[in-house]
Amino acid sequence: MATERIDHKWGMVIDVDRCTGCQACVVACQAENNVPMNTPDRFLERRAYEWIRIERYWEGEFPKVKARFIPILCQHCGNAPCEPVCPVYATYHNDQGLNVQVYNRCVGTRYCINNCPYQVRFFNWWEPQWPNTLQNQLNPDVTVRSRGIMEKCTFCIQRLRRAELALERQEGGRINDQNLAERNLAPACVAACPTSALMFGDQNDPNSKIRPYFEDANTHSERERKTRGYRLLEEMGTGANVIYLKKVEQYPLKQGESHG
Amino acid sequence: MSLTRRNFLAWAGLSAVGAVSCAIPRKEQELAIESPVRLPEDLVEGLDNWYATLCRQCPCAEGVLVRVMEGRAKKVQGNPVYPVNQGKQSVRCDGGLQALYHPHRLAGPMQRSGPRGSGQFQAISWDAALAALGQQLAANGSGMVLATEPLRAHLGLIAGRFAQAFGGKHLGFETLDQVTLRAALESVYQQPLLPDFDLAQANYLLSFGADFLSTWLSPTRYGQAYGQFRHGEGRKERGIHVQVEPRFSMTAANADRWIPIGPGWEGHLALSMAQVIISEGLQAPGVNINAITGGKGAAALEPFRPEAVAGKIGLPEGLLEGHSAADVIKELARDFAKHRPSLAVGGGSAGAHSNGLFNLKAIYALNYLVGSVGTAGGVKFNAGLPLNELPSNASVGSLADWKKVAADINSGATKLLMVHQADLAYGLPASVGMVQAFQREGLFIASFSTFLDETSAQADLILPDRVYLEDWGSDVPDPAPGYPVLGVQQPVVNPLSDYDPRSFGDVLLAVAQQQGKAANLPWATLRDALRESSDKLFALRRGSIRAGSADEFWRTMLQRGGWWDESAGIRNVAAPSAPAGLLAQIAGEAAAPVFSGPEAESFHLLPFSHNSLLDGRNSHLPWAQGAPDPVTTVTWQTWVELNEHKAKEMGLREGDVVKVESAAGSISGLTYLNPALPPDVVGIPLGQGRRHGSEYASGRLPEESSNVMDLLDGAQVQGSGGLAWAAARVRVTATGTSRRVSKFEGTSMAREIGETPGERIIHITSPSNSGGH
Repeated sequence: MATERIDHKWGMVIDVDRCTGCQACVVACQAENNVPMNTPDRFLERRAYEWIRIERYWEGEFPKVKARFIPILCQHCGNAPCEPVCPVYATYHNDQGLNVQVYNRCVGTRYCINNCPYQVRFFNWWEPQWPNTLQNQLNPDVTVRSRGIMEKCTFCIQRLRRAELALERQEGGRINDQNLAERNLAPACVAACPTSALMFGDQNDPNSKIRPYFEDANTHSERERKTRGYRLLEEMGTGANVIYLKKVEQYPLKQGESHG
Repeated sequence: MSLTRRNFLAWAGLSAVGAVSCAIPRKEQELAIESPVRLPEDLVEGLDNWYATLCRQCPCAEGVLVRVMEGRAKKVQGNPVYPVNQGKQSVRCDGGLQALYHPHRLAGPMQRSGPRGSGQFQAISWDAALAALGQQLAANGSGMVLATEPLRAHLGLIAGRFAQAFGGKHLGFETLDQVTLRAALESVYQQPLLPDFDLAQANYLLSFGADFLSTWLSPTRYGQAYGQFRHGEGRKERGIHVQVEPRFSMTAANADRWIPIGPGWEGHLALSMAQVIISEGLQAPGVNINAITGGKGAAALEPFRPEAVAGKIGLPEGLLEGHSAADVIKELARDFAKHRPSLAVGGGSAGAHSNGLFNLKAIYALNYLVGSVGTAGGVKFNAGLPLNELPSNASVGSLADWKKVAADINSGATKLLMVHQADLAYGLPASVGMVQAFQREGLFIASFSTFLDETSAQADLILPDRVYLEDWGSDVPDPAPGYPVLGVQQPVVNPLSDYDPRSFGDVLLAVAQQQGKAANLPWATLRDALRESSDKLFALRRGSIRAGSADEFWRTMLQRGGWWDESAGIRNVAAPSAPAGLLAQIAGEAAAPVFSGPEAESFHLLPFSHNSLLDGRNSHLPWAQGAPDPVTTVTWQTWVELNEHKAKEMGLREGDVVKVESAAGSISGLTYLNPALPPDVVGIPLGQGRRHGSEYASGRLPEESSNVMDLLDGAQVQGSGGLAWAAARVRVTATGTSRRVSKFEGTSMAREIGETPGERIIHITSPSNSGGH
C-alpha cells in the first residue's frame, strides 16, 4: 500500500451554455451529503440549504425575454475570503485545492458566511431532523452537521477520499476523469448532470478535460482567452477553482450559411 | 494539560504563529481532515455495493445504479451503460430513496373500516386480503377493470393476460395522455412505436410545445443529447434551438429563440413554413415534393401562405421588431430548411387542443421536407424487442375509455376496480365523474398503492406494493433509443422490518393461480417471468451480452441493468417514405382551435407537468417538493403564473391568492408574476392539492395547494380521443387575501449573489468567439 499521497488540485468547469436549469444536481447533492430537508418554512425564511443551487436571471421583457440559469456552489477559492476570518481554523485550504470546513472546529461565529461573496455557506440554525425511517438513507460517509455549525459544498470529498483509497493506495493507480466516473466517485452533481454542463477533474492531470480551461484562465486575461472560461466575480481575485464557460448568444444567425 | 477555553485560545494563537513560521510543506505527515468521522489514512472504509436497476419515478424508467451499504440504499445514480440515459439522471431519480424509507408508507394490507372515502382502514393479514380479492374476482371478475400506470414489458404482459383471464380489461392511465402524439406519429411516419429523436446530431432543432428538457417523454435522454447538440465533442457548430410555445417553459427558457404563438395555432405555423419551403424550393435534395403534396406543389398549401396565416397565429407585436409576422414565418422556414440536419418535434400543449392531432401531424410532416426522416440528426425509428410477447408500448386509455369505465361502474357492468399507481380520482377531469362512480353501491375497489392517495383512500382493500427498489421488474423503453432494449429492475434492498408489502406482479400471479385462471400466466413470480425472457434472449446469441451459459447471461444482465442490441438499430427499420399527398391531406384537416369557458376578460389556461412532481405522483417526496421549479423557483405550493404587467394592471402582487374559474370548476393559487408569460395566458403546474395521504403532499391550505385538473371539462382532441387539456379558458380574480410564496429566488442577500445584476454573473459571448470550446 502506497504511503505517499499523490498531488491533486481539484477543479470544476461549468458550462453555462449547457446548463438547462433542471435541478438534477441540486437533489443529487442533497441525497449524497445529508443536506437538511428543505421544508416550506425554510424557503419562507430564505434559509433553504442548497450546497449547489441554480440561480435564474431574467433579461428583458415579454416577448423579447430570456431566463438564464447558472449553477452556483462553493468556488473553492485559492484565495478564499472565508478562510482568514475564521478564528478557529474551521475553514482552511487543504493541499488539494479544496476549501475545507472542519465541522468539529466550527464554533459558529458566521464570519465566513459574511465574507463569502458567493453566498454558498449555510449555517445550521436548527438541529437537522429526519423522520426515523428516512434516516436509513443518510450517507454514512458524511457527517450530519448539528445546530450552530457552518456547512457547504465539499466537492464530495468523501468520494474523493474513497477514490484515493481505492484507486491510488490500494491499486497503485492514479485518479483521472475516467476512473472517477467509472467507480461512481465523481461529485454527485457532476455525475447527475444530464447535459454534462458540470465537469470535474484534477488540474494536475495533463489529460483531464478541465485542465485546458484552467491553463487558459490562469495565463490570460478574460479578453485574451481562447476558451469561453471566466471566473465568477473574477475581479475580486478569489482565485476560484471553479471556472465557468460563457453562455453563447446565437442570434442573429449568420445569413446564408448552410450545413447541408 | 486540560483543555479550557483559555488554554484553547492560547494554543490556537500559538499554532497560528507556527503555521506562519514553519511554512515548509510536510505533506506525508499532514492529516487529511474534512470531518470528524474521518480518521487518518489507516481508516478502513465501509464497503458499498452499487446495483443496477431501473428508476420508476417517471414513466421513462431510466437505468440507475443504487449504492447499498449495510443493507440500506443510500444513493441513486445514472447507469452509465444503460442506453436510454447513459449515466445521467433527472431531478426525480434520487426521490426513489425517499419513497423507500418514507415515514408514511403503508405498512401492510388494510381493509376499509369507515364509509367510503373516509380514509379509515384497519390492518388485516395478507391471507385475509388475498382471500377477499380472490372472492371478488370469482364473483365479479367479468367486467372487472385493472387500471395501472402505463405498463410495458413483463408487468404489462402479466396485467394484460390477468385481466383477460378474468374477462375484464386492463387500461393504462396517463394524466396528460400521449394518445394524440402516438396517433400523429403513427399517421405521419407509419410506425407503431415512438421514434427516437436524434437531437445530438441535429443542427437546428424546432420544438413546438414539447418541454423535452423537463418532463416530455424521455427528458434525461434528451438532456444528454442536448449537451452534445450544444457543445458535443467533434461538433463543428453549436446547435440552434427554437421553441414555439405559448408558455415560457423550462425548455423555452433554454432556446436561442422563443416564439410565443397563440395557443392552438402551431399546426398553421408548421404548414405555413412548409408552404415557404416548397414555394422557395428550399427542400432537401431528393425530396419528392410532387408526391408529398399530391402533385399540387405549393398550391396544396395556398391557404397557409405566411400572409394568410400571419394575422391568426397570435405572434406578439414586440417580437417582430418592425417586420411583419409573415416575414417572421418566412425567416423561420428558411432557417429551418438551411441549417440541416434540422429536426422538428411537437408535443405538450400543441397536441392538447381540439385541433391537436392536426397540429402534431403538420409539425412532424416538416421533417420530410428537410430530409430528416430516418437519418442522423433527425427522426430515427424503433424496431421493438425480439421477444414478441412483451409489449413494447403500453396500452393507454383515452378519455373516452375512462368515461366508459365510469359509465360501466354506474350501470353495474363493472363491479370490481383494481388500481395500481393510477390515481384516477386525482388525475381525471371531474367531468368524467369517476369519484361519483366510486360511490356506486356494490362496487369493490382494490388498490395496490404503496402510499395513500386520492384513489386508494376510496378503496375497500389496499394491498401495498413493494417500492421498485425492493422489487423485480423490467422495461422496454418507449421511446427506445433507436435499437431494442430490455431494462431489468432487481430488488436492491429488502423492505424494512416495519413494512410488509408484496410485489404487485407476484400478487396478480398468485391470485390467478388460486382462482385457476393461470393458463396463460405460467410463472410463480415476476422474477420467473424475467428469467424465462433472459433465457430466450440468451438463445438468440446477439446483442450486448456474450455469455457461455444461460446462468451467466442472467447474472450479466442483472449486473448491467439489461440487454440491448445496437446492431439491430436503424438498419432494421427502413425509413418510411412520405405517404402520398401527406401535406395536402393534413392541410385538409386544418381547423382552428376551439376553447371552452368564458370568452370575455379571460385567459388561456395552460396546465403543465411539474418538473419534479410531474402529475403529482411524486408529491409525497420532500426532495421533489423542495426542488425549485426551474423558471419560477417556487416550491411546495401551487402558483398561478401571470404576465407581470397584466397582473399589475389587475392590481395583483406576488402571493395574492387568486381564484381561477373555468366552465368546469374553480381552484385557488398564489400569484407569481412572470415577466415572460404572454398577457393572455395563465400557467398552473400539476401536482399539488392532495387531500389524502402523506402529510408532505396533503393537509395544506387549499389556497396554496390545489389540483389544476379540477379546471378541465374533459374536452377531447378531435380524431384521437385524447384529453384536450390546453383548451380551457379561465377567469382570474383576486380574493383579497395574500400569502408568502415559498420560492427560492431571493428578495434578500440570503441565497443569491445579492443584488448583483445577471450580466455580472452570467457572461455572454457570440458563437464566433466561442471557438471549439
